[in-house]
Amino acid sequence: MSKVVAQQAEEQEPEVDLIKADQVIDKYIDLPGNLMPVLQGIQDAYGYIPRIVADHVAERLNVYPSQIYGVLTFYAQFHLKPRGRFIIRVCVGTACHVQGAQRIKETFFNLLHIAHTETSADLRFTFEEVACLGACGMAPLSMVNDDTYGKMTVQKVDEIVAKYSALPLD
Amino acid sequence: MVNLTIDDKQVSAPKDSTIYDAAKLNGIKIPILCHDKKLKPFGACRMCLVEVEQMKGRQIPACTTPITEGMIIRTDTPDIIKARKLVLELLLLNHPLDCPVCDKGGDCDLQNLTYDYQVNSNRFVDSKFQHEIDYNNPLIERDMNRCVLCGKCVRICDEIVGFGALTFIDRGIETKIGCEFEKGLNCEFCGSCVSVCPVGSLLARPFKFKSRFWALNKQNSVCGYCGTGCNLTLGVKDNKVLTTIYDENQGFHKGQLCVRGRFGYQFISSDKRLTKPMVRKNGVLTESTWDEALEVVAGRLKGGTDVAALATARLTNEEFTLFKKLLEKAGTKNFDHSAGYAHAALTDGFARSFGTSASPASILDVQKSDLLLVIKTDTYETHPVVGFEINMAVKNKGVKLTVLSDKRGKLSKLPNAKTLVHTPGSEIVILNALAKAILDAKLTDGSASIIPGLPELELSLAAYGADAVYSQCGISAADINKLASEYAAAEKALIIFPVGQAYSGHTAELATAAANLALLTGKYGKEGCGVLCLSEKNNSQGAVDMGFYAQNGSMNALQILDACTSGTVKTLFIAGENPLNSYPDKDKVKSALNAVDFLVVSELFMTETAAMADVVLPVCSFAEKEGTFTSADRRVQYVKPAVRKGIQTKTDYEVFSDLICCLGGQIPPSTAAQFDEIAGRVPGYQGLSHASLRINSAFAPVSITPAFVVPKVPAPVTTGQGMLAMVTGSALYHSGTLSQFGEGSMYVCPEAYVELSRTDAAALKIADNDLVNVSSNAGKLQLKAKVTARMPSGVVFVPYHFSAAPVNTIWNGAAVTPVSLSK
Ligand code: SF4
Ligand code: SF4
Ligand code: SF4
Ligand code: FES
Ligand code: FES
Repeated sequence: MSKVVAQQAEEQEPEVDLIKADQVIDKYIDLPGNLMPVLQGIQDAYGYIPRIVADHVAERLNVYPSQIYGVLTFYAQFHLKPRGRFIIRVCVGTACHVQGAQRIKETFFNLLHIAHTETSADLRFTFEEVACLGACGMAPLSMVNDDTYGKMTVQKVDEIVAKYSALPLD
Repeated sequence: MVNLTIDDKQVSAPKDSTIYDAAKLNGIKIPILCHDKKLKPFGACRMCLVEVEQMKGRQIPACTTPITEGMIIRTDTPDIIKARKLVLELLLLNHPLDCPVCDKGGDCDLQNLTYDYQVNSNRFVDSKFQHEIDYNNPLIERDMNRCVLCGKCVRICDEIVGFGALTFIDRGIETKIGCEFEKGLNCEFCGSCVSVCPVGSLLARPFKFKSRFWALNKQNSVCGYCGTGCNLTLGVKDNKVLTTIYDENQGFHKGQLCVRGRFGYQFISSDKRLTKPMVRKNGVLTESTWDEALEVVAGRLKGGTDVAALATARLTNEEFTLFKKLLEKAGTKNFDHSAGYAHAALTDGFARSFGTSASPASILDVQKSDLLLVIKTDTYETHPVVGFEINMAVKNKGVKLTVLSDKRGKLSKLPNAKTLVHTPGSEIVILNALAKAILDAKLTDGSASIIPGLPELELSLAAYGADAVYSQCGISAADINKLASEYAAAEKALIIFPVGQAYSGHTAELATAAANLALLTGKYGKEGCGVLCLSEKNNSQGAVDMGFYAQNGSMNALQILDACTSGTVKTLFIAGENPLNSYPDKDKVKSALNAVDFLVVSELFMTETAAMADVVLPVCSFAEKEGTFTSADRRVQYVKPAVRKGIQTKTDYEVFSDLICCLGGQIPPSTAAQFDEIAGRVPGYQGLSHASLRINSAFAPVSITPAFVVPKVPAPVTTGQGMLAMVTGSALYHSGTLSQFGEGSMYVCPEAYVELSRTDAAALKIADNDLVNVSSNAGKLQLKAKVTARMPSGVVFVPYHFSAAPVNTIWNGAAVTPVSLSK
């Protein structure tokens, strides 16, 4: 994560209360090697790992804040910024690339103005490029949360954006 | 021993050696980059690849592979050379190669290896790193573009320092070293990471562009700050100390220093140093000559039953001895150091309990013990490198740690450390309760019965039942009983406590109460056992050993000041002490110094005390003189001048010699001769000489005559409604008042503060960095608030050291001072 992104993460950080974090920590407090389950639980509870929650975990588990950050940046599963309600994943693996993933990606960008790992201001969409989703037969492939969209076209991008823009946020 | 063959040479090495260790032991050099003997093996860089015949000639890292019997190893086959060259080519690929402007040039492992392996071209091309350089703090520059990801900084900050500021961030090609959330470095600034970084990624900013490494004159010395007595190497150029240089072979601490030792050296070559003697004329301090100044002083000392003296515990042993001679020649026995009470744990407490004014334990016992009982987390702040030893003992050796403290602190965070947070000022009560618990549970050692004073002690402890003391100390009976039985059951146990001018509660009585525990359980006089009193300054123990304190009814430091006020002392000679800032009750000190007829101060700087003097004598720092210092654990260490002293300055030794001559006395022909006289007289110093100490420092052994002593327990402090209990002490970055002239210390900790708990802060609506008025009976002080998790509610901490906001305006020497806080 670049410095700019880190700053953004800090600036974007909404007020968070630590009660949810404490519940997760209390659950695992006596478990040896509890850092990973705690962080996973916190991500589930908040949707990402807010910075002040990370600091709180450090204090309560008596681990260095730096060590937590090392873990958070090592594993792709952790997110340091709030994430959108809908996670759009566009595969840019080899098969999808050959089948025109670049255009799909650009079309999403033109509609939503968010690039890789970015989230729209209304927290509706997060955009991610991923390498091979493991269904190359359906290339080019995209996913929105758990829904898979194969044989993507520019047209389909429009439809997907329209569909998920119409859904309620909660 | 294991036998093996390295490069056709039959060699042997101890059985837990790695291939690297075995080779090194036998004079075979294997290049390393990420390995450090002080750190756990890591095996990240692949520089140390060797071939092992039994492993079918596979290339394996020598630094992580243990040796086995009959191993056949080759360290320099063409394939290995090729592999190492490849490692270097890859490391150099994204490296900026800005050696001409890199401060590490000439001392850089990467540069040297590139040279050794003649990597003069690179088969690969890639862009250079584009990391932003961290200039967020004044002491350490972090340039991750030069980083080789050896991880030494991350590891040392965890394994030895125990701070954990640094981590690996991201993964794969993106990996870099940094702090959480990419913040700028904000840590203890001990510089340990800088010292082990093999390249120019971590650099000491105060030294940047001051000198090339090879142009520095490297001078071994001993740190002039605290009683730990760390060894250091000063980097000198043009007669100026420009930096400290890391030498992993120096001292018990293997070159590791704290922030003061590493970055606080600037006072030596400071341009604020006094350069000429001054004599007060018509009310104004005016530059003068040595002849005039010494004549005036000698005139006042002559026949001086009304003369008294205070000295800083930073003089050498030779200087203390000579100063005593001068004072005796003048006709006075009234002299003392460190406010008197700061050495009483040794000169009064241990003197009664152990029959000697020194600790029956050394810093080396820390890692050899099984259980450490540390009184006050401040031990880390007062003696940081001892703190490193405690950290390593706990982390690497599984030593149990219990901290008795009025607040939490860094030591409380060590793995499995148990911190018993007690009511401020109740240490002795707890120690007594522990003694009683040991006696009641019959956990005493057989040896205790023959030590005099046992029945009296037992009788005196009747009121200290673990249940009974709860209301006084706030520690539960269960905790007291558990600690008592763990302490007694441990095969080896060591009690550690700091003393110093800010720790007025760490008295002779506390020392005896701690000693009782060791004597009851037989935990003294053996490896890893005893009671270690960490004296404050670099030669506090020496001052005691030289007998520079009130004895046989002579006046102690505080009595001397009273006598100045009352007029019985008319001439006061203050050598390097700054009582106006560091002794309790500023007003009282001020009236004493105002009242005294004649005040002479020998100093490095125009301190507030010096500014009141009638004569000011410019003297020398540790780096400009020859002599010996004795560490808190009685290591006698020799220092020689690292820089030439100023033309118009003298060492204290020379000042005292000159004055003795003025008074018609005899002086030893040299400091070495002076030391010989000390060696002939001071117990434990026999057989030592400057000549032998030049080569190796030596412990002055301590012989113990044990006795149980009934500690007098101070009356508990009642803080009162709406008041908080203020305790004072040492800030990590400072030592005494001298560190105010060490720029490194002042960069990171420039001013006093009041540290308070989150609950008190919330109740008083005080936020971090708010200016608050701290008022006590004695006065009022405006300080910045520091809200921390470590302070218990009801307790606040204010460090001493600072002339700009001296704690002694609100503190009159009590262990606990009731204060109120307001915005
Ligand atoms: S200066 Fe000391 S505390 Fe700070 S990062 Fe380096 S090793 Fe750690
Ligand atoms: S900063 Fe220095 S010590 Fe730390 S990983 Fe990089 S090269 Fe090694
Ligand atoms: S101040 Fe003390 S602990 Fe720090 S380097 Fe000097 S002697 Fe060592
Ligand atoms: S490359 Fe896109 S699914 Fe495999
Ligand atoms: S020195 Fe052995 S792997 Fe780095």
